[in-house]
Amino acid sequence: MKFFESDHYFDYPWDQVTAANWQKYPNEMSTHVISVDILSRELNPATNVLRSERLIGCKQSIPKWLSFLVGGATVSYVREVSEVDLNNKTLVMKSSNLTMNNLLLVNETVVYRPDPELPQSRTLFEQSAEITAFASIGRICDKIEDWSVERFGQNAKVGKMAFEGVLKTLNEKWEQSGVFENTNNVLTEVSKLPFLQGSKL
Amino acid sequence: MSVSFAPECTDAKTKYDDCFNKWYTEKFLKGQSLNNECSEFWDTYITCINANLAKKGIKPMLDKAREDQPFTSEEMKESAGTASKEEK
Repeated sequence: MKFFESDHYFDYPWDQVTAANWQKYPNEMSTHVISVDILSRELNPATNVLRSERLIGCKQSIPKWLSFLVGGATVSYVREVSEVDLNNKTLVMKSSNLTMNNLLLVNETVVYRPDPELPQSRTLFEQSAEITAFASIGRICDKIEDWSVERFGQNAKVGKMAFEGVLKTLNEKWEQSGVFENTNNVLTEVSKLPFLQGSKL
Repeated sequence: MSVSFAPECTDAKTKYDDCFNKWYTEKFLKGQSLNNECSEFWDTYITCINANLAKKGIKPMLDKAREDQPFTSEEMKESAGTASKEEK
């Protein structure tokens, strides 16, 4: 597991930042985000907490050396849960990828809160992520094994054909030289033994 | 406004988003709302989404993630640093 952390200040008040958060996409920079949907949304009137669940569709940008693992999938999905706590002035967003998460799981947490020093005009953004690659070695091994079995079969076929050729050439040579004559004679003689008469030897 | 993952839901989403953003800035942030409004737009939109989540095979991945990473309110409060405050 690897960790990523980053902080940033936005020179806008917290309420504006949270309102803009719902309208963040599409934007010119984040061209990888292709869709945003809201899956559920609940307001707790007693606590002033607004909880939302969203589905974010992203264009897959996966390194070439890994692309054979995911086949033809071009869109990956991320599920995000957020809570705006109006009383405490916090916006927390947690997300994880739905696609390929048997290979790589990214758990991201983002917190927006008013900057303690300039609470009216500046917002502190804290981002952290846990990145876990698991079963990846196994998956890669599987692929290599499949490929190896296939190649092994092809090679074995070629190998058998090659050996047939070698045997044929050598046999012709040995027939001429008579070097195996004795063995053949022995076999001929054995087949002539009385108790083997009538057998198919 | 961003589009829906299901093109046929984008119209319904735009109507809901417009309503929601207005409600969020004009009422919620001012502490003036007791209800999650926009339900008339929400119902049409979420019906479209739910049908397409099933149709496009996203539903099983989603259900698994909801189980594996529930992201409960407790977890959210812990990240916000507001969990202990509320307990005291």
